[in-house]
Amino acid sequence: MTETLTLSAPRTDVPVRGTAPSLPTLVGLEMRKSTSHRSGRGFAAAAMLMGPVGLALAALDAELGAVSGPMGVTAMMTGLVMLALGVVSTAGEWTHRTVQTSYLLVPRRGLVQTAKVAAVALLGAAFAAVSGVGSLGVIALVGVDDLNWDGWAQGLWVTVAAGAVFAVVGAGIGAATANTTAALTVLYLLILGVLPLLRVSRPELGDAVDPAHATMLLGQGMAEQRSILILTGWVLVATVAGWVLTKRRAVQ
Amino acid sequence: MITVSGLTKEYGERTVVDDVSFALEPGTVTGFLGPNGAGKTTTMRMMTGLVPATSGTATVDGRRYDQLPNPGAVVGTLLDAGAMHPGRTGRTHLRLLATAVGVPPSRVDDVLAAVGLADAASRRLGGYSLGMRQRLGIAGALLADPPVLVFDEPVNGLDPEGIRWMRDLLRGHAARGGTVLLSSHLLGEVEHTVDRLLVIGGGRIVADGPVAALLGADGVVVRAAQPRALAVALEAAGFHVERRDDGALVVPDAEPAEVGAVAAAGGHVLVDLRPVQRGLEDVFFSLTSPAA
Repeated sequence: MTETLTLSAPRTDVPVRGTAPSLPTLVGLEMRKSTSHRSGRGFAAAAMLMGPVGLALAALDAELGAVSGPMGVTAMMTGLVMLALGVVSTAGEWTHRTVQTSYLLVPRRGLVQTAKVAAVALLGAAFAAVSGVGSLGVIALVGVDDLNWDGWAQGLWVTVAAGAVFAVVGAGIGAATANTTAALTVLYLLILGVLPLLRVSRPELGDAVDPAHATMLLGQGMAEQRSILILTGWVLVATVAGWVLTKRRAVQ
Repeated sequence: MITVSGLTKEYGERTVVDDVSFALEPGTVTGFLGPNGAGKTTTMRMMTGLVPATSGTATVDGRRYDQLPNPGAVVGTLLDAGAMHPGRTGRTHLRLLATAVGVPPSRVDDVLAAVGLADAASRRLGGYSLGMRQRLGIAGALLADPPVLVFDEPVNGLDPEGIRWMRDLLRGHAARGGTVLLSSHLLGEVEHTVDRLLVIGGGRIVADGPVAALLGADGVVVRAAQPRALAVALEAAGFHVERRDDGALVVPDAEPAEVGAVAAAGGHVLVDLRPVQRGLEDVFFSLTSPAA
């Protein structure tokens, strides 16, 4: 649909789209934004390499006899890196004040947030897929001769899903806090510090909320239903918090 | 046309913008002046939907900013030159904006050349000076060649050549039928660029009118070959005359034609005859001082 602008305008020969950008256009734009600076490319490289390199290093010290265990760890590690990609995609805009330009050009904040969530989910899944395939390749190379391949497919799809899920959680919390440092500190402190301690002191509670542990178990084909519920809960809470707080916040 | 009606912003008990109303017509450059904290930036951000208004409306051609189908095609905005990711290059920054606003990527090189940043386009923004960031922000605002430009302090960091370029840009935009709203604390620059002044103080509009009308004051300045004789003639004609140290006579509440008529009738030779002009700085401080 093309809409004619009726404002008395200077004569111009610049061809300009008369309508708002479509959601796919915005998703593509947000994907380009996330990879247009060194930190974004750094997160991408870390996500793609962490699993394979980690497994290769682990193989120096231990035998890899089965695929499912290492793939569960790959899924968790890749997801934790993608958490940062998600945070930077939303909170980074507020930290660098580029959110101003984003909302000046697309004032529908819900649409922008939806595009960001979709973009980091796609990027997270893509980078995690590379990580998962690379990890399988490393396991094949360094694993024992009679390697147990049971659960390799589940390990791969859980790695891909974890990339998307953690990126979306990061985007939601980043949007809710509007502060990159605060969001990263709170998330990593919670997931890598508080929740593991909680799992030691109160295992029934810790196991019910820890997304990293849930991802590892899911990658290994254990506690599947509960793990999916935990990850879904994190996605919902983070997304709703980010969406609500972004809608109401003034851009100063 | 941009219409702002009763725009108000309150933070708790504090009112930072209080019932601000004005209209901006095509073909004009309007200067938006006020001391720090007067409410200029908040007003501009409310106009563009970045800050929600407590009450009042701002419309562009009858629509709220967030209801425009593609706002970047209608309003080119520069509110904060620092609002750029330091890790991106100038060209990447503009290409992202070009996608959002819906102009061809080739337009990026056009505006980079227009603002004089073609050679710096591949450098990261973290290495740009304030003036370069201002130019890049202006390039972003010009991507779609929009009919309306809203610039907050656009000449900050620009060198004299850049300031002249900016003046020509804004005047040229208005001459093509565009609408420009420009805030600045550089009063001399504003005086030479704008057609109309909006002065805000304490969150309220305290003056709104053509530059000439605001800077002009009732009265005439006249210089004559024989000033003392002319003063006598003017007083005899019923005018009050003030004598300045530089020999000029100031005749309050008079028109140049009236003073000229008295001079002609008495055969006085005049070397200067003009309306009294106040400096923008005088006007600004008289309107925005707390006692005003």
